[in-house]
Amino acid sequence: MTSAPELGSAANARGPTARPQQNLAAGPQPGFAADAERHRRDVPRHCPRCGTSLLHGAGISVEFWQGADRVFHTWCASCRWTGDIIPTTQMIGHEPEH
Amino acid sequence: MLTAEMNQMLTQVGPGTPMGTLLRRYWYPVAFTRELAEFPVRRTRLLGEDFALFRTPNGRYGILPEACPHRKASLAYGVVERDGLRCPYHGWMFDHSGRCIDQPAERDDTNFKDRVRADAGQVQEMGGLVWAYIGPAPVPELPRFDVYVMDGIRDIGWCELPCSWLQIMENAVDPHHVEWLHGRFFGFIGRQEGFDAPPSFGKKHMKIGFTEFEWGIIKRRVLEGASEQNDDWKIGHPLVFPYNMRVGGAGIEQMQIRVPVDDTHTRFLLYTTHAPAGGKFWEQPTVPDYQIPWIDDSGRHIVNYVEGQDIMTWVTQGAIPDRTTEHLGKSDIGVAMLRRMFREQMQIAAQGGDPLGVIRQARDRIDLPCERDKFHAGSTFALDFMAMGSSRYSPQLEALRQLHIDAAVALEPAAP
Repeated sequence: MTSAPELGSAANARGPTARPQQNLAAGPQPGFAADAERHRRDVPRHCPRCGTSLLHGAGISVEFWQGADRVFHTWCASCRWTGDIIPTTQMIGHEPEH
Repeated sequence: MLTAEMNQMLTQVGPGTPMGTLLRRYWYPVAFTRELAEFPVRRTRLLGEDFALFRTPNGRYGILPEACPHRKASLAYGVVERDGLRCPYHGWMFDHSGRCIDQPAERDDTNFKDRVRADAGQVQEMGGLVWAYIGPAPVPELPRFDVYVMDGIRDIGWCELPCSWLQIMENAVDPHHVEWLHGRFFGFIGRQEGFDAPPSFGKKHMKIGFTEFEWGIIKRRVLEGASEQNDDWKIGHPLVFPYNMRVGGAGIEQMQIRVPVDDTHTRFLLYTTHAPAGGKFWEQPTVPDYQIPWIDDSGRHIVNYVEGQDIMTWVTQGAIPDRTTEHLGKSDIGVAMLRRMFREQMQIAAQGGDPLGVIRQARDRIDLPCERDKFHAGSTFALDFMAMGSSRYSPQLEALRQLHIDAAVALEPAAP
């Protein structure tokens, strides 16, 4: 709006924190590459209810971590199922005190 | 954490993209009313496209793609006339609907102008802002949210930020950041600079919750020393889908607006209506607006006020954060929920349905839920909000402080 510098001008882009846009298609940045790779490996590929592919934007899975668990909060665009999918590495009978 | 493909899907807002298709179903503020009163045509950028916004002498607004259909010169330098906007280059004239109504250099016996049309949007004025709709027909109603139409004293702080609008929206469903960014960090900065940060902003979060409702997501929190009976949980405040957050308390009503200019730029507006009970409101022929400074001459972020702290985090996340390497925790479930909501609504828009918050019936006023007793801090919240937030830059700061003080005094019970 009024007197704002033109978008993308030097005035807007200055400063140590105005980073250039990342090339997202180029894959993960170094440092957390292993976590990103695990995400790509384990992200749910099919809806657990209707079996439709969730790949290529046909749904969404957002991964968050809770304790030792990796939780994939998932939505299927085909049947609209919503839920959390948690890969299991071991079965715990009773949760230890924490 | 997301795949790169999903991060792109959520952050690309241009024409033809899934998110761009969704976002084109909503109205956006694209100018201040006073700007087109001062000069009747200007350029504006929205969702990765450039437009010429104009106001004809009869008070009617219009918006056209900036490039003239003739030979692409800028209509933002056009001549505003009674019936529309004329290209400065060869005089082609377009009316508010985008119809070409004059081609001065063409012969009168041609129907050429009838074969040319600019892709016009719709424009309305509300609350000191000019609003544009550039999506497909039928045009939805402009939602008249409470802050824009209620009685009170208004002002609008604003700035342009070099980052995607999405990370700013994710901040709106991230209650915990208040305790740290506006609590611990604010206290640290205060000690360095010699001021006291407001203690109410640093209260510990005991519980957070998110509820979907007809306008988006209601965010709730229980702070230490409070319970689910306090306003912060019982009422909360909403993320107003897809690009707003309604906040306030203690007689301050505010809409935080995050207009997606393009993939990597956001126009941030703080539209505030000061409406304390018992307050005496003065006439405002024009809604004052003021630019919020967020970076100093040396290029460092200004972090000694609330929104400056927010802006620092949004911009330092990067123009578009690399969400393939982020690490969300349980405290980020609001972020996960919002991303899912965007993906759900993208599908509805792609299938031609009306996504969340698109309305077809006009309403005079839409009241949004918003806590009154913010952070159970009482009336001091209003003064803290102004002293420690972006309102410190408002040209009417002192008058606003006095408005709240006088209102509080007027409501005090008379001494026996």
